[in-house]
Amino acid sequence: MKTFKSTIALLALTILFISCSDESEDPQTATEGTVSIEFDNFVGTSQLNLVEEGSADYTYTTAGGQEFNVTRVQYFISKIILTGENGEVFEDELNVSADADEIKGYYLIQESESASQIIELSNVPEGTYTQITFNLGIDEEGVHEGAAGGILDPATGAPFWNWNAGYIGMTIEGQTAELVEPEFQIHIGGWKDIVPEDGTAQKFYNNVKTITLNLDVDMQVSSSLEPEVHVVTDIQKVLGSIDFTATPAVHSPAAGRTFADNFESAFIVDHVHQ
Amino acid sequence: MCISKHTKQLPLWGLLLFAMACQESDVVKDDTYVFRQPEHFPEATYTLDNNPVTEKGFLLGKKLFNDPMLSRDGSVACSNCHQQGTAFADSQQHPLSKGVEDREGIRNAPSLVNMAFINEFFWDGGVTHLDFVPLNAIESDFEMDESIENVIAKLNNNETYRMLFKEAFATDEVTTPYLLHALSQFMVLMISDNSRYDQYLRGEDVLTNEELSGMELFEAKCESCHAGVLQSDFSYRNNGLDAMPLDSGRNRITENSRDWGKFRVPSLRNVELTSPYMHDGRFETLDEVLEHYNSGIQDFATLDPSLKSGISISNDEKTKIISFLKTLTDREITRDPKFFNN
Repeated sequence: MKTFKSTIALLALTILFISCSDESEDPQTATEGTVSIEFDNFVGTSQLNLVEEGSADYTYTTAGGQEFNVTRVQYFISKIILTGENGEVFEDELNVSADADEIKGYYLIQESESASQIIELSNVPEGTYTQITFNLGIDEEGVHEGAAGGILDPATGAPFWNWNAGYIGMTIEGQTAELVEPEFQIHIGGWKDIVPEDGTAQKFYNNVKTITLNLDVDMQVSSSLEPEVHVVTDIQKVLGSIDFTATPAVHSPAAGRTFADNFESAFIVDHVHQ
Repeated sequence: MCISKHTKQLPLWGLLLFAMACQESDVVKDDTYVFRQPEHFPEATYTLDNNPVTEKGFLLGKKLFNDPMLSRDGSVACSNCHQQGTAFADSQQHPLSKGVEDREGIRNAPSLVNMAFINEFFWDGGVTHLDFVPLNAIESDFEMDESIENVIAKLNNNETYRMLFKEAFATDEVTTPYLLHALSQFMVLMISDNSRYDQYLRGEDVLTNEELSGMELFEAKCESCHAGVLQSDFSYRNNGLDAMPLDSGRNRITENSRDWGKFRVPSLRNVELTSPYMHDGRFETLDEVLEHYNSGIQDFATLDPSLKSGISISNDEKTKIISFLKTLTDREITRDPKFFNN
């Protein structure tokens, strides 16, 4: 009897599946291609190389002449858009999910993990593209989807603030010769953008920045071409005129504001491999 | 015998027809674990599409809510400071929450009812999505003092939890979002919408003359902040507790000096049960609370303009307002067996 019931149930499910499944997909009309974007981290003109925590080997120098090294650099990239001069537009699909494999359009670039530094965009419509736009950080739309897995899971390393809940857009940590306890931590977060209803000054510091870069070439996308955009991120520019003795740690939106203002100048498209 | 056989088979054919038609069944289902939007409430803010409530998810959330394993030394569960009998606020003996090693928190643990309908959480509004609320309690050093990484590791090492997460979320591995989703499923069903006041609004019950007078007085004297069906406009205000507020309150989140010492206007749902009152639990009775507005307002730069000269409330008016406030008590939520820790 049990087997019979199971058989009927299975049959019912099969019919459900058949009768409710989508019609066969429309034939592809437009041609699409793949674009890779590589984020390559630099400090000034030097390639970024991480050191161990506690290292007193100071490789880099700030604009103000303070020596430092770096143990960790990571940042979120989201909402990537490619545009062309003939109306070409590609908007990277966004999805926040508890299932790590279902997260789309949000990327955590980590210097410690080279695979994380290359973003592959598929289904980019054929055309000529001249500009790339993306967000540095995760804005309201992403935060308000609630708990998420994978690169957005705080238990597996997603930089996240509990007390002022939201993702930390960029993390820069290292050591400097300027401090007795040499560790510095620059955590640039804050996404709220709330204008008080009473007409008083803006509260909160929204440190999510939208960055638009010219490709400086006509990047061709088609099913047979897989171009790669090589973006250079200059950590020295993000640190700007930092004085480590005055600012050894940044852990709030207000304190991160001056660094977030440097984001735009810190990113350049170095070249495009066609 | 024969009849019973037929009746046994009928539901199978029913299932088959249901499947072929792809339509909702008309069969009455158990709605114990279904999220229900009260008609007279603001629309739910919780992202139910991302995390629909299911029986298995809710029951897992309940087990987690009551499990001290979430704390570093296995001593503190969510339910320590959020008890059903007080509408999921702290016990009345704890003005400030008690964490691991009997560490004392800085604020009074508020009621968790009706969290599905609000946008910002905690006294300072620092969290804007219910899913992220438990992270604070777990990682705060004076609450559970545990890292989320360790909680996830402990859950993954527990066969029972692995099975329950698999049943609720079809996941082979316990991860943070599923833990938070289970807790949210448990919390969003804490809907308190069956007080005598709700029954009055729905035309199912009447209020006494004293309660109705109290409601009129409340509307005249309190409603500019305690507005709407949940008795809060969910703004942040300094209600004149101290001449020099020590807890920065909303300023911690906005980093704006004009928000120093401001706290969220709390909902007054079940206020009869949620003593002591204010962010630091300084007042034990509703009478003390009303007397504070009547005679105790302390001036400070951020004091709410509406409280500059206090709110004049006579003893007779106090009695009536308190009578009205007690109509906000919902004994159904405090006795609902689906929340029992069993």
